[in-house]
Amino acid sequence: MKRLLIIALFILGAAITTAQAGSLVIMLAQAGSEAPAPPAAVETKPAPAATEAPGAPAAAETKAAPAKTPGTPQKQDHKEYAEMEVKECTSCHKGSGISPNHDADWLRGHRLLAVKPQKNCKDCHNQSFCLDCHTGGGINANLETENPTVNTAPSSHRTDWREIHPIKAHDNPQTCTRCHRSQFCSDCHARFRGEDLMVLSHRKGWSNLQAGSPGPAHSTFTADQCQSCHLNGLLPKHVWSSDHAREARRNLQACQSCHSDGQVCMTCHSARTGLRVNPHPRNWDKVKNSYKNKSSGRSCIVCHDNY
Amino acid sequence: MSQPRRIFIALLLLIAGLGAAQSAAALDVHGRSSTQYIWYNDIEDGSQQAQLAEYLSFSMNGIDSANKLSMQGYGRLNYDLKNGGDVQSRLYYLFADYKGLADRVDVRLGRQFVNLSAGSALIDGIQADIKNLGWVGVTLLGGRDVLFSEQDTMTSHFYSGGVAMYLVGVKKTDLDVSYYRAYDHSDVTRDILGLNFNQYLLDSVKFYANARYDLTAEVFNEALAGVKYFPKLDMMLTAEYYESYPTFDTTSIFSVFAVNKYQEGVLKADYTALAWLDLSGGVIRETYGDGGDATVYEVGFRMRPSHQLTVGIFYDNRIGYGGDLNGFKTYAEYSDLKKLKVAAGIDYDVYQRDDMTGDEIARRYWAATRYNFTKKMSASLRVEDNVNANYSKDVRGRATFDVDF
Repeated sequence: MKRLLIIALFILGAAITTAQAGSLVIMLAQAGSEAPAPPAAVETKPAPAATEAPGAPAAAETKAAPAKTPGTPQKQDHKEYAEMEVKECTSCHKGSGISPNHDADWLRGHRLLAVKPQKNCKDCHNQSFCLDCHTGGGINANLETENPTVNTAPSSHRTDWREIHPIKAHDNPQTCTRCHRSQFCSDCHARFRGEDLMVLSHRKGWSNLQAGSPGPAHSTFTADQCQSCHLNGLLPKHVWSSDHAREARRNLQACQSCHSDGQVCMTCHSARTGLRVNPHPRNWDKVKNSYKNKSSGRSCIVCHDNY
Repeated sequence: MSQPRRIFIALLLLIAGLGAAQSAAALDVHGRSSTQYIWYNDIEDGSQQAQLAEYLSFSMNGIDSANKLSMQGYGRLNYDLKNGGDVQSRLYYLFADYKGLADRVDVRLGRQFVNLSAGSALIDGIQADIKNLGWVGVTLLGGRDVLFSEQDTMTSHFYSGGVAMYLVGVKKTDLDVSYYRAYDHSDVTRDILGLNFNQYLLDSVKFYANARYDLTAEVFNEALAGVKYFPKLDMMLTAEYYESYPTFDTTSIFSVFAVNKYQEGVLKADYTALAWLDLSGGVIRETYGDGGDATVYEVGFRMRPSHQLTVGIFYDNRIGYGGDLNGFKTYAEYSDLKKLKVAAGIDYDVYQRDDMTGDEIARRYWAATRYNFTKKMSASLRVEDNVNANYSKDVRGRATFDVDF
């Protein structure tokens, strides 16, 4: 019974539309006689960066570009052009002094167009066009659109994304945060073994280091022997290197993606215990009160008794 | 049954009712229903998964006689065919739009995606655009952030609000300043000033800039400046500088750590060499501080030897800090310009995550087709196979039945 209800819900969306246009049988019967065209949709355009570019030859069946009116105002309503191919925009825009903006670099550059208050994206696109990539949708699934699950993936998420994303995440680290909160990273990373996710700073950088000069390599010692030289040392495990500070400064989001609560950082960076290494930026004295007031001291209390 | 699911099911029924009533009233309802069968292998254990999903989007006009009120919605129901369980749902947006309130204000109420130069969010809330104020316009927005987990919509205790002021009526100039503030319960997590600027000059040059200034950290969270030169509309040259300073929610312990500035220089070119040939290329120089840097080279060709056939080849090569990546993506798409479209492609990447690992190769082979039964009804099938470090065979795909109304 429950399955029947579910199936009924799934087909409801399709059924309401067929109810409008007549029965499914009639529609199928009409298929042979109707004018051929791509499916007219709320979103008719494929992902621009992948499939469209200004200047390519016009498709056989597209609307003729409306004639350009001299002195056309800058913020013209583009709704009547919505079903045109992007490449046809150039025929109107020629000489208008407005640059084409659906070029091959659209994926990287569209953010600036989308934040403009008077943007005209909505003349051609619904919000579903944005949210299919930004929040994981799927209604605008073009042939080239990949779907690792029920959420389609933007074209930037290439081949074996699970393996490649650490590399791509370095190309402007802010890009990830435009769609994903840090919890998205830590939730997924928590499902895998830490050893499988190790990065340079976490590997055994110590093994070739000599204990004294000259002296034996560190790899000749066991973990039990650390304390004999590093009295009260905080790093008894052979999984650390000085690279961590440099890597953390370059890409702190990567640290957060596994150590979401930052407790591991407190081993050395707490003001209460351990090495008490100051982690704050240079302008900290100037901004610390602002952090304290806005967060009600939530981040301060992690390391400080008095703040 | 969760609240979003109840809302979405109610929405489906509402649309059904309105759709049936459409012929009798002036109501104008458009949208898309996409019913999809999706199969894939689980990322964690490799087990085969299958889902049935119904995506529905709609827009509704003509609700009132003055046609000032409209509604838009988009949601999804999906059911795990392998493991059973509850029907999952995701309501992406559902809002009412009222234009011209007192001839001055456009109001949007409900779940919606909001985007200012200072910040963006998916919120349950309100956005108001105040117009006819002369040379300036104002946008106000605020609401509770909507957070999706993999399975469902999470209970959110984050709230966002913002205001933007922008220049109106100055030809070939866009300028806006905005302010965005986010809360976690009553604590301020983000406090950002934003700016966006575009200036067209001489019918062939565009200067642009964008910045986000973090008022808590007192640093530019992001800053970008660039110029586009388009001597002809079939050629565009881009030069851009971008820098970012990662900042975190003030409530996160990571917000108190010193970090390096990330910097990026970009040179790009787009050129339609022939009526059937588009070329693009570029180089990006990335700097991470402490001597870390990387360079990315990109080249692309898109050819349309006939109206029916499109072929694309895109290659990029990244070398430097963070790992090396060398890959191409190629596809061909054929349309009979009537009912049938077929496409296929190969994506190929060679990558090395750091000096201590060797090269790995990841390949994706895909093929897809779409058949249009009518102008408003089509079906598609896409199948792909992934061969990579984790899978010698990873076949997954999607079958869709789409109806536009």
